[in-house]
Amino acid sequence: MVLRDGRALPVGVAATLATLVVVFYYPVGSVLASAVSDAGRPTLAPLVSVLGDPFYHDLFAFTAYQALLSTVASVVVGLPGAYLLARFEFPGRRFLRSVTILPFVLPSIMVAVGFLAMFGRTGLVNDVLAVVGLGPVELTFTLEIIVLAHAFYNAPLVTRLVTAAWESVDPARVETARTLGATPLRAFRDVTLPQLLPALLTASVLTFIFTFMSFPIVLALGGLQLSTVEVWLFARVQSLDLAEAATLGAIETALSLGLIYVYLRFEATQLNARGESRGRARTPLFAGWRSLVDPKRLALFAYVGAALVLFVGPLVSLVVESVTTPDGALTLRYYEFLLAQQASTAAGTTRPLPAITNSLLFGAGALLLALPMGVVVSVVATRERRGSRLWEALLTAPLAVSGIVLGLGMLRTLVFGTTLFGYRITVTGPVAIVAAHAVAAYPFVSRNVTPALGSIDDRLVDAARALGADRTTALVDIELPLVVPALIAGAAFAFAISVGEFDSTVLLAEGVDSATMPVALERYTGNRSLGPNLGPATAMGTVLLAVTTVSFVLIDRVGTGWNQ
Amino acid sequence: MKRRTFLSGVGAGSAIAVAGCSGGQSETTLTVATYSSFTGEDSAGNWLKSAFEDEHDATVEFKTPENGVNQFIQRKSEGAPVGADLYVGLNTVELVRADEQLDEQLFATADVEGADSVKSRLNFDPEDRAVPYDTGYISLVYDEGEVENPGTFDALLEPAYEDGLIAQNAQQSDPGRAFLLWTIHEKGADNYLDYWRDLSDNGVQILSDWEPAYNAYTNEEAPMVVSYSTDQVYYHGEGVDMSRHQVGFLNDQGYANPEGMAQFADADNPELAREFMSFMLTEAAQKQIAVNNVQFPAVEGVEPGGDFGKYALEPPEPVTFSYDELAGNVDGWIEDWAREIVSN
Repeated sequence: MVLRDGRALPVGVAATLATLVVVFYYPVGSVLASAVSDAGRPTLAPLVSVLGDPFYHDLFAFTAYQALLSTVASVVVGLPGAYLLARFEFPGRRFLRSVTILPFVLPSIMVAVGFLAMFGRTGLVNDVLAVVGLGPVELTFTLEIIVLAHAFYNAPLVTRLVTAAWESVDPARVETARTLGATPLRAFRDVTLPQLLPALLTASVLTFIFTFMSFPIVLALGGLQLSTVEVWLFARVQSLDLAEAATLGAIETALSLGLIYVYLRFEATQLNARGESRGRARTPLFAGWRSLVDPKRLALFAYVGAALVLFVGPLVSLVVESVTTPDGALTLRYYEFLLAQQASTAAGTTRPLPAITNSLLFGAGALLLALPMGVVVSVVATRERRGSRLWEALLTAPLAVSGIVLGLGMLRTLVFGTTLFGYRITVTGPVAIVAAHAVAAYPFVSRNVTPALGSIDDRLVDAARALGADRTTALVDIELPLVVPALIAGAAFAFAISVGEFDSTVLLAEGVDSATMPVALERYTGNRSLGPNLGPATAMGTVLLAVTTVSFVLIDRVGTGWNQ
Repeated sequence: MKRRTFLSGVGAGSAIAVAGCSGGQSETTLTVATYSSFTGEDSAGNWLKSAFEDEHDATVEFKTPENGVNQFIQRKSEGAPVGADLYVGLNTVELVRADEQLDEQLFATADVEGADSVKSRLNFDPEDRAVPYDTGYISLVYDEGEVENPGTFDALLEPAYEDGLIAQNAQQSDPGRAFLLWTIHEKGADNYLDYWRDLSDNGVQILSDWEPAYNAYTNEEAPMVVSYSTDQVYYHGEGVDMSRHQVGFLNDQGYANPEGMAQFADADNPELAREFMSFMLTEAAQKQIAVNNVQFPAVEGVEPGGDFGKYALEPPEPVTFSYDELAGNVDGWIEDWAREIVSN
C-alpha cells in the first residue's frame, strides 16, 4: 500500500492523475472536443444550433424539473431513514444499514420489472387497494413513477451520507444546549442541523446530477413523452450524429461541473474542526406499550411502512417474478435456465458463475483502487490553496459526465486503440474494467472522506509533524484511523458502483469471459429460448441481489472489526 | 492473441495489449460479427458454428459488440481495424446509415452462391452487398378478451382503443422503428406526424425497447403491443391462454424487417466469409435459423415445419421501404417523430 516516506503522497497524486487521464479525461475529452471542432477547425455551429433551438430549451427545462422533483422526493424519503438509523436502536439495525445501498446495484430493467409488479395497473399496491375498496391508482407511464424510481435509486444515498454525519454529531453540544434551556426541537435546529447540512447538501447535489442524467429507467417506466436530455443524447449517438451528441454532452457536463464547483465552495466554508466524538447513545425503538402511543415513534412506524412499499416491495416483487410464470403459476424454469447456461459449452454463452466471480473480483479491485484514489483527492481537497476548489471540481468530474459520453469516448480511444510506432495499442480487458470502475467510484470515496478529514482537529496532525512524522506518516498513522467509518462507507459505495456498472464494462470486456452479473442479466433479457419473457433475467437479478447483500454485510463487518 | 497483464494496487490503472500490424489472424479463423442473441446456447449462431466447422477446416468466432453495426462504421471512420470478416444481422436502415456515414465501402459486393434463391422482395441492397437470410414481420399482439382486432391504422384512433397500445422508441428499438416506418408507408411522409399526434392524443405509450414494452403488456398495462407475427410460436401448449397472444395485422399488412449478412470490405478471409454466407442459405441452415431465431426463412420454398410452421403467422401483404426510399430520409423521419412525441 502506501510507501512510508515523504514522497508517497506526490506519487499517489501522480498515479491517480495518470489513471484518470487514461480511462477518463482522454476518452471524454476526445468526445467533447468534437462539440467545438469540425474536421480540426474550431467551430461554434453545433453549440449555437442547440442553444438556439426552442425544443432543446424545453427539453433541458423538463429534465431539470424532473431532477428537482426527484431530489426533493429522495430527501423526503431518505432523511427519516437517516434519523431512524442514527438515533434508534432496534434488532437488525446494522443489517439494514448495510443493505441500504442495494438499490445502487440494480440494473434499470430489473427496477422496471419490480416497479410494474408493485405499482402497475395489476400490481400489488392496486390489489391491496381493491381489497379495501379503493383505487386503482394509475402510476405507470407518469412522471410520478419516474420520480418514485429515482427516489428508489437515490434516497439510499441521502440516508447513507446523512446517517454518517448524524452519528458523528457531538452529544456534549446537544446536551449543553438542552441544559441551557433549549427545547429538543430548538437543540436540533441550532446544534444538530448545521452539522447535518453539508452531508444533506452533498446528497442533494449528487441526486440532482444523477437524476438529471438519468436515462434507461425514464424510458422503461415513463415512456418517450417524458424524455430527458440523456434520451436525446443516446439517440444522437445511435444515429451517429456525434457532433450534436457531443454538444449535448458538453452542455450537461458544464452544468453539472458548475453545480459541483458552487457546492464545493460552500462545503469548504462548512468544514470546521470538531473534537473527537463518541457519538450519542441510541434510543431503543421499541419501549414496551408506550412506544405505541408516542407520536414520534408512531410517525416512524408509518414511515417504515411507506419505505417497505417503496423499497422492499419492488425487490420482493422481483424475487417473486423469478419463480412465477406470466400466468402466475409457480415455476423453477428460470433457475433451471441459469443452470443450463452454466453447463453450456456453446460459443457466446454468458455463464452465471463466472459472471458472479467477475463481479466480485472487479468489485474488490475497484474498491482497492478507489480507496487510495479517493483519499488522495480528499487530501488535496482539505488543503487550503488558491484553486483547490477548482482542482477538486475537476477531480470530481467523473460524477458530472454522462455515461453515454464516457462510453463513446472509451470506444473511440481505448477499444479502437491508437497507433504508436507502428503498433496498435488498445486498452481493454479486466484491468481496464477495474480502472474504469474505480474512476466511477472514487468520487464517492472522497465525498465520504473529505468532510471527515476536514473535521479532524488540526492540532493532532501538527503535534505529529512536530514530533518528526512526515505528511504521509501523519496521514496513515493519525488521520486515516480517525476516519475509518467514512472509509468503510466509501468502500461500500465503490463496491456497489462497480457491481452495478454496465456501460463501460460491456465495452471493455473482451467477449463473454469478462462478463459481470449485470452484463449476464442483459444477455438473458435477449434470450428467447423460454419465450419472450424476462424470467431468466429476473432469476439472474435475484442472484445479483443475494450476492451483493452478502457482500455489503461482509464489507461492513470487516470494516467495523478492523476499526475495533 | 492478446497478452494480458494483471496488476493490482495503487496506480496500476491499465492493461495495454499490443498487437502487431500483421493482424495476427490465422488463415482459418472466421470472425463473424453479430448481435448477442444470435450466439450462445440454443441459438442459430451456435448451430451454424458447429455445422460449418464440421464441413470446413476453419474455426468460427463470434464478436457481439453492444452497439452492433455502429461499432464497425465507427471503426472504419476512425481508421481502426474492422477486425471481423462478415456481419450477420444487418437491416436496411443500418445499411443506409453505413453508406451515409462513410466515404469508403464498409461492405464488399460478394458473389454468394445461392443468393439468387432468396425471395426477391426481401432483397434490400441495390448493390447486392447484403444478402437476406431471414425476415420478421412487425404486427400487433393483442388480448382478445379486452379488445377486438383493430384491423386498421385508423381504428387505433377510436375511443375503443384509448390508452390501448404500447409501442417502442424508434430511436433505439428495431420493432419500434419498423412500426414507425410502417405508419409512414401507410400515411405518407407528409401526414404521418399528424397520425402520430392523433395516436398520442389517444394515449399510445412509447417505451424504450421491446423487453420493457412486452413486459408492460404481460402485466396488463395495455391490451395491445407492437411485436412480431411469430408471437404464438413461443406461446402455445398446455394451459397457455392464447387469447392474450392474438396477432393483429393492420390494413392486412405486416412490415417486413429482413435481416441480411454482408462481407466486410476489409475481411482477412473474404472467401471463407462468402462460403459461410452461402452455407447460411442452404435449406438445413435456413430451417434451423428460422426455428432458433423465430423469424421466417429468406430462401424461396423452405418450410421449417413443426411448431414453427403451425404457429408462425405471415401477413397477407408484407410491406417495407426500399433502400432508395430510406436513403436521405430515415434519420429525419425518426427525429421529427421523436420531437412530435416529446412535444405533445
